[in-house]
Amino acid sequence: MTVERIVNEMVAQPAPDTLTPGSWSLVADSSRSLVVEQGVRAELLVIDAEAAVSIDINVAQGAELRMVYVSQTQSANHIKLTVAEGGRCDVTQVMTHSSEVHFNTMLDGRFATFELNGVFVLTGDDRGGVTVDVHHNMPDCTSCTIVKGVASGSAHGRFSGVVYVAPDAQRTDSKQLSRNVTLGDARIETLPQLEIYADDVKCSHGATVGQMDAEAVMYMRQRGLSLVDAKRLQLEGFVSDVVMRSAIGRIAEPLQELISEKINRL
Amino acid sequence: MSENTNNILDSLEKSDYKYGFVTDIETETIPRGLSEDVIRLISEKKGEPDWMLERRLKAYRHWLTLKHPNWAHLDIPEIDFQDVIYYAAPKPKKQLNSMDEVDPELKRTFDKLGIPLEEQMALAGVAVDAVMDSVSVKTTFRDTLAEKGIIFCSISEAIKEHPELIKKYLGSVVPYTDNFYAALNAAVFSDGSFCYIPKGVHCPMELSTYFRINAEGTGQFERTLIVADEGSYVSYLEGCTAPQRDENQLHAAVVEIVVERDADVKYSTVQNWYPGDKNGKGGIYNFVTKRGLCREGAHLSWTQVETGSAITWKYPSCVLLGDNSSGEFYSVAMTNNYQQADTGTKMIHIGKNTRSRIVSKGISAGMSQNAYRGMVKVARGADNARNYSQCDSLLIGDKCGAHTFPVINSHNPSAVLEHEATTSKISEDQLFYSRQRGLSTEDAVGMIVNGYAREVLTKLPMEFAVEAQKLLAISLEGSVG
Amino acid sequence: MLKVENLHASVGDKDILKGINLTVKAGEVHAIMGPNGSGKSTLASVLAGNEKFTVTEGKVEFLGKDMLSLSIEERSRMGLFLGFQYPVEIPGVTMANFMKLAVNEQRKARGLEPLSAAEYLRMMREKSAVVELDSKLTSRAVNEGFSGGEKKKNEIFQMAMLDPKLAILDETDSGLDIDALRIVATGVTRLHTPENATVVITHYQRLLDYIVPDFVHVLYKGRIIYSGDKSLALKLEKEGYDWLINDYKEE
Repeated sequence: MTVERIVNEMVAQPAPDTLTPGSWSLVADSSRSLVVEQGVRAELLVIDAEAAVSIDINVAQGAELRMVYVSQTQSANHIKLTVAEGGRCDVTQVMTHSSEVHFNTMLDGRFATFELNGVFVLTGDDRGGVTVDVHHNMPDCTSCTIVKGVASGSAHGRFSGVVYVAPDAQRTDSKQLSRNVTLGDARIETLPQLEIYADDVKCSHGATVGQMDAEAVMYMRQRGLSLVDAKRLQLEGFVSDVVMRSAIGRIAEPLQELISEKINRL
Repeated sequence: MSENTNNILDSLEKSDYKYGFVTDIETETIPRGLSEDVIRLISEKKGEPDWMLERRLKAYRHWLTLKHPNWAHLDIPEIDFQDVIYYAAPKPKKQLNSMDEVDPELKRTFDKLGIPLEEQMALAGVAVDAVMDSVSVKTTFRDTLAEKGIIFCSISEAIKEHPELIKKYLGSVVPYTDNFYAALNAAVFSDGSFCYIPKGVHCPMELSTYFRINAEGTGQFERTLIVADEGSYVSYLEGCTAPQRDENQLHAAVVEIVVERDADVKYSTVQNWYPGDKNGKGGIYNFVTKRGLCREGAHLSWTQVETGSAITWKYPSCVLLGDNSSGEFYSVAMTNNYQQADTGTKMIHIGKNTRSRIVSKGISAGMSQNAYRGMVKVARGADNARNYSQCDSLLIGDKCGAHTFPVINSHNPSAVLEHEATTSKISEDQLFYSRQRGLSTEDAVGMIVNGYAREVLTKLPMEFAVEAQKLLAISLEGSVG
Repeated sequence: MLKVENLHASVGDKDILKGINLTVKAGEVHAIMGPNGSGKSTLASVLAGNEKFTVTEGKVEFLGKDMLSLSIEERSRMGLFLGFQYPVEIPGVTMANFMKLAVNEQRKARGLEPLSAAEYLRMMREKSAVVELDSKLTSRAVNEGFSGGEKKKNEIFQMAMLDPKLAILDETDSGLDIDALRIVATGVTRLHTPENATVVITHYQRLLDYIVPDFVHVLYKGRIIYSGDKSLALKLEKEGYDWLINDYKEE
């Protein structure tokens, strides 16, 4: 139901192969190849379907793609993003179901920018994986990947990411961060990787796996919240900045609801 | 990149290996190649008991079923294992009773290596078990150590004199089934060091072993076993050098450390095997398995400074089996020219309240490739496990590579694991600032590199820290401003 | 001591210095002022030999020697000190270690023996007092985690250690509160002798209350467009640069 709300808020037409300025939506039930042409600014909402498809998106020179990707079914999709000179690609990724998604980004022109904010919330015996590979193939590109994961019950969550900096891709500026919380018997695996062949670069990555802040929970309970509410509030806080920075601002709220719904089921 | 940095690179490439001399000593070798007969021959030459031969053969038969691993970030040329000489020992003249009887050539080699094998050692307070090629030549300070019940001898001797300890511990941390090179080592290991610290004993001196590959075409397969019994403490040093040769030499060692309840072991290595020349010809292939097992409340700390070898493949690891045990890994790996290093650690948290800390500093120059590979694993029952990892890379020049491959795997919700990594280069601003104060470019680079590695270098015992600093400087020597 | 003639310099294809003329004699204090982006910091960098800039024309003589052919460290060892506007952080390298290397390089260049550890420590203690530098800072990594004021004091401390012939202080007063400013400025004044010279690059007149200049130069668009005595600084403080710049535009 919430997914429907997201689609409704979005107000978008089914995406054609060439995206013109405006808002578009796509149900990932078959492989597609899309282009955002030079200088065009487009929004795209992708909802997965029970399938394993690949979606190729070319973001041309100076174009800007703002994309929200929602995994809510058992899917295994491969999203290939190619960004040309001065192009920009902003992705918000949300996963609330056993699913696999692999973003493979090629920064193929100078001054190209890629940003991904992702979140996965897994419960029960969910198995979920988010892979984000970013290839800095040209100098002066910027990328930032932040993926937050929550796993409870006997769920397994996995983040894997490679930042590849090609020889001569000087002045690359890249950040990669994987932050995770586990509850119960859940398992989380994170593989943040750097592969760097240029020397004038700023690259950092970080990963944390931990539990919720017991003191904060205590603090909230002292103010009268139940243990369940305190935990829920904290988890919502943990992931909310990801959706609050949603690539498409007007669907931030229903996205947050989708996640809250899942968190309530923890 | 500025003219200046290019100059530094050029001169980096010109700096030569300082330990590239060959000692002219008669060595006894066996024919090239590997077969059950060769293993029988090795075992016989060493006068081993039958049970040891059986172990070797079992490992060999297992090895035959294995394929060479290729997951590392390394470009390893195919190695012909039938083209290696598996045993080389300085020809025995007669039983030696005192230092004076040691072959003067051999002594000179040790002098060149800067090993204080004689009386200076009393002052230095270091006991050295020198392994040249494959047989332990002389072990010093054994008497002093024996008073405390500490056993420090070659592994061959230990097999003969302390079979109960060897049977109990050898292969208990790194079984022959562990990996390709562990199996090979278990089959053909020629010698190595054995060290046993009894319950509650604090070893009064740093124990030290020097490895050196001398004979041409020989593989060195040494085996080290350290057992620290309950509540004991030992600091163990290992240093490595090899002569300069055009062909590649193989080094596949296994180090096993057993840290019993509440014991504390500190293991430090400065590895300076011949890295090959500036065109990537020759050099040691260094494929090593090092692992320690920590029982309840035990502590194991690995510190390594890696500047040598053409190819390094090495992951000193800690299995934190007992509750409240802890492991540390401090590493500086420097690669230059065509060197390749793939090194890091594994921290396996099994016991409750286990803690680990990883600090890795990679330095790549020339055309080299330097990879950190690590794994932090928290098993289901490892409540309150904590890990902190920090992996930094420093790049000198734009033709080298730095890579970080950490795996963090948590099966326990109370675990807190943190990993941080950065990549940087020596900035033009730092060089300008230092030179404005009167330092040459070469000194400034050396100083900055040593500053960068400082956190690890300070973990080394004093004598080693000085040597390690010099080694880093040697690799940077000859730089022109 | 320093003679700059028609100095032109550029970075990439952008010309920044367009014909600087400046003569500094022993015992003198010069102040260089000017609006943002006029080339003040570039002038300091170029004089110190920063390889980021290319000298396209002109001559610089220092102590009678052609300075432009010398490397950064050769200039330093001759006695040229640059106080950085943004002192660089060098992680893991302690201040004490860094200065020991630097001091001994300078001594070597002057034909002196390296200092013993004890002599060096004494010297550090003595010189850090000049700028009231917390002696604990010398055991920390170079400039790492230093506050703005500490960084600037640290520059003057290093100046005291190296005893230069010519000190060029680039915006040493920026980011300092009034107490730190007094300490830094008093430090500089105490180090001034009839044998050495100081060039102060600054935005504000307030530093010149402490360090009284013999000459004040105004740098604008890569040229010195006006020179005067210390009263010029006061006039600039009151009236700004416009009257000068307007004159200049009319030229």
